[in-house]
Amino acid sequence: MTRQKRSHHRLKRAVAPYLYLSPSLLIIGLLMLLPMVTVIGYSFQNSAVLRRDPSFAGLKHYQAIFADPVFWASLWHTLYFTCMSVVFHMTIGMVFALMLNSDRINPTLRNILRVLYILPWLFTAVIIAVIWRLLLEPNGVVNSVLMQMGIIGSKVEWFSSPETALHAVTFANIWAGYPLFMVSLLAGLQGIPKDFYEAAYIDGAKAYQKLIFITIPQLMPIIISISLLDFIWTMQVFPLIWITTGGGPIYSTEVLSTYTYKLAFSSYNLSQASASAVVILLISLGLTLFYIRYQKAR
Amino acid sequence: MAEVILENICKTYGNNFRAIDQLNLSVKDGEFLILVGPSGCGKSTALRMIAGLEDITSGSLRIGGVDVVDMPPKDRDIAMVFQSYALYPHMTVSENIAFSMRLAGKPKAERKKRVDEIAKTLQLTSLLDSKPANLSGGQRQRVAMGRAMVREPAAFLMDEPLSNLDAKLRVQMRAEITSLQKQLGVTTIYVTHDQIEAMTMGDRVAVLKGGVLQQVDTPKRLYESPVNAFVAGFIGSPSMNLFEATLTGDELMSGTFAIRLQDAAFVRRPGLKSYAGRKVVFGIRPEDLYDSSLESGRKYQTIPAKVTSIEELGSEHIVHLNIDGVRVDSGDPDAVQDFGLTSNAVARFEPDSAVRSGSAIRLALDDTKLHFFDPETHLAI
Repeated sequence: MTRQKRSHHRLKRAVAPYLYLSPSLLIIGLLMLLPMVTVIGYSFQNSAVLRRDPSFAGLKHYQAIFADPVFWASLWHTLYFTCMSVVFHMTIGMVFALMLNSDRINPTLRNILRVLYILPWLFTAVIIAVIWRLLLEPNGVVNSVLMQMGIIGSKVEWFSSPETALHAVTFANIWAGYPLFMVSLLAGLQGIPKDFYEAAYIDGAKAYQKLIFITIPQLMPIIISISLLDFIWTMQVFPLIWITTGGGPIYSTEVLSTYTYKLAFSSYNLSQASASAVVILLISLGLTLFYIRYQKAR
Repeated sequence: MAEVILENICKTYGNNFRAIDQLNLSVKDGEFLILVGPSGCGKSTALRMIAGLEDITSGSLRIGGVDVVDMPPKDRDIAMVFQSYALYPHMTVSENIAFSMRLAGKPKAERKKRVDEIAKTLQLTSLLDSKPANLSGGQRQRVAMGRAMVREPAAFLMDEPLSNLDAKLRVQMRAEITSLQKQLGVTTIYVTHDQIEAMTMGDRVAVLKGGVLQQVDTPKRLYESPVNAFVAGFIGSPSMNLFEATLTGDELMSGTFAIRLQDAAFVRRPGLKSYAGRKVVFGIRPEDLYDSSLESGRKYQTIPAKVTSIEELGSEHIVHLNIDGVRVDSGDPDAVQDFGLTSNAVARFEPDSAVRSGSAIRLALDDTKLHFFDPETHLAI
C-alpha cells in the first residue's frame, strides 16, 4: 500500500464514526438543543416571542420568579410529589417483585398477579387521571368504601380540598408508576444466583437477613438507576396534574411544570415562563449528571 | 468432627422421579469421601440432602450420632462449598469469610481474630479487603473454603468445587484441598463428576449411577476390582474397553480373534467356568494394551486392530482403534467421548510407538489384567 493510500485509509477510518453519528446528532440538535438554546435566550429577553425586537432583560425574569411565592410553593410541591412518588414506587415495586419472585406462591396465581400488578403501566396519563377523578369524586367509590368502613365520617373532596389535593395526585401518580420498579426489580431478583441464598441458609440466615445482606445489596445498582430516572421523569409530570386538578385549588397542587405552562399560555408571559423552564432544566440536568456519573462509576 | 451415616435414604420428586434410591453410606470421622458419577446420577442431590437443602423422602441421616433429618441446615453442624463458590460480590473477602459469624451475632473482635487465623492458613491475608471480582479462580476457591472453615463444622460438604477452574489450577487446588483436609481432619464429603479428582483426593470413593450406589471402596480397589461394568467403565481414563465374547474352553472368541486365558484366570474367578460355551463380557484397560512392535509388548499375545486416530500427548500416545468385536456399553455417557464414533477401543502406548493413523497393527494385551462381567447383569464375575 502506498503512503498516500494508507493516509486516505486512515482518514476514512477516523471520519467513519462521525458519519454514522451525524443523523442522530442532527435530529437531537434540531429537536432538542435548538429549542433549549432558544428558551434560554427568551429567558433573558423582555416580551420574548410577542415582540419582533425584544430588549435584553438580564436576570429580571429570574428575579421575578424567585420573588414569586407561587414559584416556591410549586418547587416545594414538585419535590414532595417527586420524593413521595419515588419512595413509594420503590417500596411497592419491591414488595410486589418479592411476592412475584417467591416460589411459595402458586405459579398460576403468580401469573395472574403479574398481569394485575402491571395493569397501571398500560394506561396513559389521561386515562389514569380520568380513572382517579371518577374514583375520588365526592360521590365516588373511594369515599363510599371509606365511609362504610368508618374511616371517614363525611365525604372528602379529595381533588378539590387544598389539604388533600396534593396527596391525592401524588397517590394517583404512585399507583401509575410502581410497575416500572416492579418489573425492573423482578428482573434483578431473578438474576440473583440461588446459591447465595442457599449458602446463607446453611449459615443460619433468617428471611430478613437474606433481604438485608443479599437481596438489597444485589439490587442496589437497579434501585439507584431506576430511582434516579424516576426522579427525573416524575419532576416533569404534567398531564396527570393538569387533568386532575389543573394545579389548584389555590395553587395547592401547583408544580413547576403547571406553573411554567400557566405563565406561558395563560399569562402569555413567555419570558418568565422561559426562566422557569430553565430552572427546571437546571434541576433535571443536575440529576442527569449525577445519574451519568453513577453509571460511569459502575 | 463426626461420622456421617446415611441409611436407606430415598429422594422422590413430585413427578415420581426417584433421584436417590436406598442410599446407604457410612463416612467415618475425619474421612475424605468422594461421591462420583456421571451427570444426573444424584450425587449433588445426595449432598444437598445431607446439607438440608433438599428434603429427604425416606430414610435416616445421622451426623455425629444425631438424627438430622428434620433439622434445618444451620443446626446440622455442616459447612458447604458450592460449585459457584457463592461468594457475595458486594462483600470483601473478610466479610465473606465472617458472614456466618456476623449472622450469629458474634462480636467484631472475635470475628476479626478468627478471620485472620483462617486467612493465614489459606494465604489470604493480603486479600482480605479485596472484593471477589478482583480475585483469581484459585483465590476465590480458597475464600469459599475459608467461609466453610470459619464455622468449625463437624463435616465439610463440597459440590464440585474445582469444576470452574482451568486444568492446571485444578491440579494445584486438588493437592491444596487434600492437604488442608488432612491438616484439619474434618469429615469431608466431596461431589465430583471427574473421576481423576475422585481417584486422587479421596480416602474412599462412592460411585453412583441413576441414584443407586454402585460401589464404595478405596480408589485402588475400585480400579482393580470394579463390581460391575459401569464402575469398570467409569473409573479410569480413558475408560476400560469392554467387548462381548464367547468363552470356548480356555479361549475368548470375539469376531475374528481369540484370546487364550491362563489357568490363573479361572482360579481367581471360579465362576468364570460356568460361562463355558456362553457369552461373557470382557474388559481391558487402555494401559494394559501394548504396541506389539515395542519391547514392552513382545511378551503378550496379540490381536489384530486398525488404528483410527492418535493423540500424541508427549508422555504417551492415546491410540484409538477398531477391533473386530462387539463393544459393550458400560452405561457411562462419558465413555462415548473416549471412543469416538469410528473407533471401538482405546489404548495408551508408550511415546516411542511408531504406529500411524490408518495402519493395521497387532495389538498386544496383558491377559492377566482382563476383567469379566456377566452379559445380562453386567456384574463382575
